[in-house]
Amino acid sequence: MTRHDPFTQEIIKNALVAVGDEMFLAMAKTSMSPIIYEALDYSVGITNARGDLIAQGNGTTVFLGMIDSLVRDILEKFAGDIHQDDVFISNDPYKGGGTHLCDVAIVKPIFVAGELVAFAMNKAHWVDVGGMAAGSFTTDATEIFQEGLQIPTVKIMERGKPVGGILEILQSNIRLPKDSMGDFWAGMAANKVAEVRIVELFDRYGAASMHQAMDDLLDYGEAMIAAELKRLPQGTFYAEDWIDDDGITDQPLKVCVRIDITEDKFKVDFTGSAPQTAGPINNSRTGLVSAVRTIFKALTNPGIAANGGCFRAIEVVCPDRTLFTAERPAPVSTYWETMLYAQDLIWKALAEHLPDRLTAGHVLSVCAIVFSGPHPKTKAPTILVGPLVGGWGAMQDRDGLNGQFSVADGETYNFPVEVTEAKYGVHVRSYAFHDDDGGAGRFRGGKGVALEYEIPNDGWVFTGSFGRFKFPPWGAAGGQQGSSNYAEILRQGQRSDPPERLGKPARVPLAKGDVVRMVTATGGGWGDPKLRAREAIEADLRDGFVTPDQAARDYGHST
Amino acid sequence: MRVATDVGGTFTDLVGIGPNGIVTAKADTTPPDFDRGVLAAITKAGVSPANFDFFAHGTTVVINALLSRTGGRTALITTEGFRDVLEIARGNRPDLFNFAFEKPSPFVPRYLRFEMRERVGPDGDILLPIDMSSLDAIGDELEAQRVDAVAVCFLHAYANPEHEAAVCASLRAKWPSLSVVGSNEVCREWREYERTSTTVLSAYVHPIAKRYLGSLEKGLRERGLASVPYIMQSNGGVTTVEGARNNPIALVESGPASGVLGAAALGRRIGEPNLIALDIGGTTAKTALIRDGQARITTDYKIEWDRTSPGYPIRTPVVDLVEIGNGGGSIAWTDEGGRLHVGPKSAGSTPGPAAYGRGGTEPTTTDANLVLGRINPDLFLGGEHKPDFDNVTKAFGKFTRQLGGSVEDVARGVIRIANANMVNALKLVSLNRGFDPREFALIAFGGGGAMHAVSLAKDLQARKVIIPVNSSVFSAWGMLMSDIRRDFLMTRVEDISAFPLDRLNTVYGEMEADAGAVCVREGMDAAKLRFERYADMRYCGQEHTVKVPVAGGAIDRDAVEAAIEAFHAEHHREYTFRLDSDVELVNYHVVALNETDKIDLPERPKTGATADSVITGRRTVDFDTDGVHESAAYDLAHFEPDMEIRGPAILEDSTTTIVVNPGCTARMDVVGNIHIELGN
Repeated sequence: MTRHDPFTQEIIKNALVAVGDEMFLAMAKTSMSPIIYEALDYSVGITNARGDLIAQGNGTTVFLGMIDSLVRDILEKFAGDIHQDDVFISNDPYKGGGTHLCDVAIVKPIFVAGELVAFAMNKAHWVDVGGMAAGSFTTDATEIFQEGLQIPTVKIMERGKPVGGILEILQSNIRLPKDSMGDFWAGMAANKVAEVRIVELFDRYGAASMHQAMDDLLDYGEAMIAAELKRLPQGTFYAEDWIDDDGITDQPLKVCVRIDITEDKFKVDFTGSAPQTAGPINNSRTGLVSAVRTIFKALTNPGIAANGGCFRAIEVVCPDRTLFTAERPAPVSTYWETMLYAQDLIWKALAEHLPDRLTAGHVLSVCAIVFSGPHPKTKAPTILVGPLVGGWGAMQDRDGLNGQFSVADGETYNFPVEVTEAKYGVHVRSYAFHDDDGGAGRFRGGKGVALEYEIPNDGWVFTGSFGRFKFPPWGAAGGQQGSSNYAEILRQGQRSDPPERLGKPARVPLAKGDVVRMVTATGGGWGDPKLRAREAIEADLRDGFVTPDQAARDYGHST
Repeated sequence: MRVATDVGGTFTDLVGIGPNGIVTAKADTTPPDFDRGVLAAITKAGVSPANFDFFAHGTTVVINALLSRTGGRTALITTEGFRDVLEIARGNRPDLFNFAFEKPSPFVPRYLRFEMRERVGPDGDILLPIDMSSLDAIGDELEAQRVDAVAVCFLHAYANPEHEAAVCASLRAKWPSLSVVGSNEVCREWREYERTSTTVLSAYVHPIAKRYLGSLEKGLRERGLASVPYIMQSNGGVTTVEGARNNPIALVESGPASGVLGAAALGRRIGEPNLIALDIGGTTAKTALIRDGQARITTDYKIEWDRTSPGYPIRTPVVDLVEIGNGGGSIAWTDEGGRLHVGPKSAGSTPGPAAYGRGGTEPTTTDANLVLGRINPDLFLGGEHKPDFDNVTKAFGKFTRQLGGSVEDVARGVIRIANANMVNALKLVSLNRGFDPREFALIAFGGGGAMHAVSLAKDLQARKVIIPVNSSVFSAWGMLMSDIRRDFLMTRVEDISAFPLDRLNTVYGEMEADAGAVCVREGMDAAKLRFERYADMRYCGQEHTVKVPVAGGAIDRDAVEAAIEAFHAEHHREYTFRLDSDVELVNYHVVALNETDKIDLPERPKTGATADSVITGRRTVDFDTDGVHESAAYDLAHFEPDMEIRGPAILEDSTTTIVVNPGCTARMDVVGNIHIELGN
């Protein structure tokens, strides 16, 4: 057999996929920021020389369309000016790779014997990139300029030499330059890993076999998905929903999707959704593509390693300048709230048609929080940024998952209480499931979580983005909707009257002894609660997952 | 004599070294009463415990209780406000795109998770003294619920275990038969979920381990055992029965650890301190790197963890190894995109590979090795069973149609993919951590190790291959080489760049004093006790740590500088860069050791016969990319030291097949290990 034989091809393909995993690990282990090493809010990947996604390592699902689109932008912008040992940096939210300014991408072209063969890239959430608020996202920005420093895809290294001053400009515009430079070097290390491996593979198997394997991998991705696509229900499906508001006014915003599934096409049309808005919940077209790719993968084949070929059957239709396709200079720092609605609409439209793959509505919002203030011991400025876990929806044959990260996240880890207290100085009062109403069903929605931070000294502020504050997760097949996401401020530990409950707290000043209670949604129920098995209700009562009042009211249960 | 027994999934192996040479025996493993199998192996080997100077035992009782969910009914007592930490876990979903994801359910249901009012701060300060009066009501409930075991884990107990110790003491005084485990007794690292999980799983296996160890010890005593029996732990050392009873979770990876340890010990004995150990069994392959005669120890360990499940963390010291679902029984299959895969599903021993002819319809790695002539059909399954070639051809049939090519082509593809999977695992422990395989010898053992080793080593560009003597029972042999060892880790974050010499000396000193007291209480010899020190360090701001050795005795500025420099070097090796940042110490790590007396391997007798005189036949063997060759088969049972052969060749007996590729030379050393030079 020659080196072109199918088995060698398999081995090269496996090795390419493994490169993504390896880059991923290298980044986590060397990063300086918990948002990267705990929340794993980053993604790594390699493309071929044309910018087709070959392999990707993900900590979260939101980056699924971000790798290849940025490489394509670089190919266009720097045509004829891409050299060995160049490094590109970008956080442009409106072009390829677009999310928000906090996500900084570092891209390295890979050359073998003078020929450009691939790109290595990573995109990671930096703790701060400047702007009006610590953490660089806030829920009331009205212009992109308030959200941090914009880096419009430039070279940071040319032929191995730093391009004068760019790193310095970055460092002078961000609040925690030391941490972010650590993350920059972590990103460089991850790209280096990819370069070493790719060059090694070319040396070993030769260029012809490698190019063949990369093409095959893309075709393979397409073939695997095509088989699954044929199994989806064919036809037209529709869903609509409401986004709470844009953080500037109180006005709910309508969004909707029409889905056409045929044997070889998955077409989604978001026409009719609200126009782009003044507040930072706007999402760019790249984010919309990522959202559709994510749910499409969940519907077809969640298991295989993602590459560009997997998504060839998708067609996304949406007019320009909607909430889903915002353009410059709309603020975008909490883009994910809207991006996730694009997925959730498709999810909602198809849940009852694909009950073995989809649950009822889940927490959805990342429930991102930013606490900043002086550390009680060192007085050094401290920024705590992270997502929260919440409840997932029930399925047709089981209860929802308790305390899990939103679909936006994935291999994301919550911050340990003990590390939070030691590192940031806040005192954690409790971390437990709550008993807010919602989620009853034949199968019950998973429980949301309440997390309470007591502020250690004066001078702290709190920002949070809790989508689905007004419109809780949806129930399915007659199940009850879930509960809301929100933050409640307990001044000096006391509940005020009426309670100070917020969906989009923006830089709320806090004093020593104030408590912030962060509450995430319980997921939606599945099926009529009256059909729930008596033993299941009794087990819930014993475990305290359902209160006696809820058992009587929602399930008609009498003891 | 010195005897070791290793309880595996199918067989319980025994190896003994005495004045009359080496004895080996295999008996059936007998779950759930594993001690019966051990005693049966002793009987089968015809040895008497009365003559044992040293007896070591590796057991799967702990991992088995965890995986089959047959441990005790367990409750948890924790800090008020935090009983759901165990169930929330870390909230991660490794199977990112699976929206029907299943979260592992907690080992303790919510109604058995109790809270007490108390609070310790991150520095160990008591913020709220414990209210012990509430323990009575909890105790009543524990009794009413008839729990067998209680885990006690309070926030920041790694920094100050006072509250935990008080609760544990009170429970033990009132209910002496209850299994009680405090987190500080099994894990003193921060991160409350991981520590709670470790404590809960420790408590969960405690009753069953206690019962098992008691009954094993009794059985051995009745048969005349006079010495202290030792139990193999996951950290590559043994402990006394008392030590194992107090900390049974430390036995969780008892079996795999002993093979790695044996490889390290053998390497030291034969002057090969840098090794990559590879153990290929029926279902999985395991690999670990040994540098300077030492295996790496980590507490970053999880059970039931894979690409789709977060599993359950157990923060106990284990030999750092990578395990993949590729063994002799791994099944070959194609997916809907037409790609060929091997494993992780295994045909096991029933129905087994297609060649067993026991109803197995799917081709396995073993079947492919048969097709390619590597396995001698006359020695198949120890020569007790003729391979069913018709069934093998049939099993490969569907792939020849789908992928094209002959049965041989497909078999070659199966081997090539299985080897690629294993090479990836070997790279994970070497290249990915910055080690150059060209500086390491590959030592391969287990049922399939010798068959694949040369191809793998060539691919990896390892320096050479070593197949140890008795390679199919090598794990048991490893235990005979082990020392008594216990690891103690404690989280206490120090800015080591500021040279806190007093702190370092105080903490290491106190840890060694405490460790010494525990070890002596559990039966270690105070006079022979020796300590090693390590520190888990990182750049300020990072989370993940790198372990480096720290000098013993009084720590001065030079010692700290040496440790910091060792950290920079290790970080650079593993992650390709070093930073000009301050360095933190996160975990103190002390190892307490008692060296045991060991018997050297007996020399293998030699008649001076030539290698040609042990040729038993010739057959056609397919060496994949090295071609198809007529090859001589040599009888390993009669092979002698200094005999040397040149590939293409096969060296085989009823338990081991060593494939020697063209251009390679194989030679036996004085104790019977085979050294293969790869000729590159």
